[in-house]
Amino acid sequence: MSVPYLREAAAQDDLGKLVRFVRLHLGDGNEAVGKEEIDRSWAETIKILLRDQPVDREFIAQVLEKDESTLALLFYHLHFYLIRKSGRWIHDGSR
Amino acid sequence: MTAADKTIMSAVDPRDAGTQLRPGLWQTINERYPGSMIRKESFVPQARLAKPLAASRLTLVSSCGVHLKSDQHLDVCHPFGDFRFMRVPSRAKHDDLIIHQLKYPHDDADLDINVIFPIERLQELCQEGRLGGLTPNFFSFIGYSMDPEKFERTVAAGIAEAVVREERADCALLAPA
Repeated sequence: MSVPYLREAAAQDDLGKLVRFVRLHLGDGNEAVGKEEIDRSWAETIKILLRDQPVDREFIAQVLEKDESTLALLFYHLHFYLIRKSGRWIHDGSR
Repeated sequence: MTAADKTIMSAVDPRDAGTQLRPGLWQTINERYPGSMIRKESFVPQARLAKPLAASRLTLVSSCGVHLKSDQHLDVCHPFGDFRFMRVPSRAKHDDLIIHQLKYPHDDADLDINVIFPIERLQELCQEGRLGGLTPNFFSFIGYSMDPEKFERTVAAGIAEAVVREERADCALLAPA
């Protein structure tokens, strides 16, 4: 799925194609693995927040002032960060 | 030897015949990644060496995503890829380098970078006089890319420009990951 394919899907608001691409990307080509990764990263946020530790809301507010391209890419970095934290890391070949 | 090997060996040199080195390669890729990836119908001529290897200055280009440990990391998270390339000093050693890339196993290369980026082997060939020299820098980038056209405009064009104009290489060893 190339960028031109994704541009077409985005123009048609084809959620199925866009979500499938994200799952394939996060699952290293395996859609089921990608879907599980997305669920796992969200579950990891709950586990972390359940610790009820102080948070830096000022920092979050500053980050959200950034441009949306940076924020969209940050979303992927946060996903990979959370997956690494979960202990279910599959992406560097260290099986 | 397989039938395919025999076919390849008995084939006319593609540089003479004006054919692709591996006919049908792009079609195969597009079958595996439908509606995507690469369309390259035009013939890319293979160049002959202008002088012997022992008198040539060689560069190394790899999609393995290796760079100096001190460099800012390539972006492995972007869903479309990172359209930058890294210069790797050709004098660097295994301990100076790190692979920062997802999508392929590099456990063995982490133990010995030469498995995928044979920088120390090339240094040895140079010392033995089998190569005329090495360019000051080698090149590396992340092979994962969902935008082949942008990749060609940015990474491929940038490396080609640097190899020819900055590094003045006579030949390049391409090492895919």
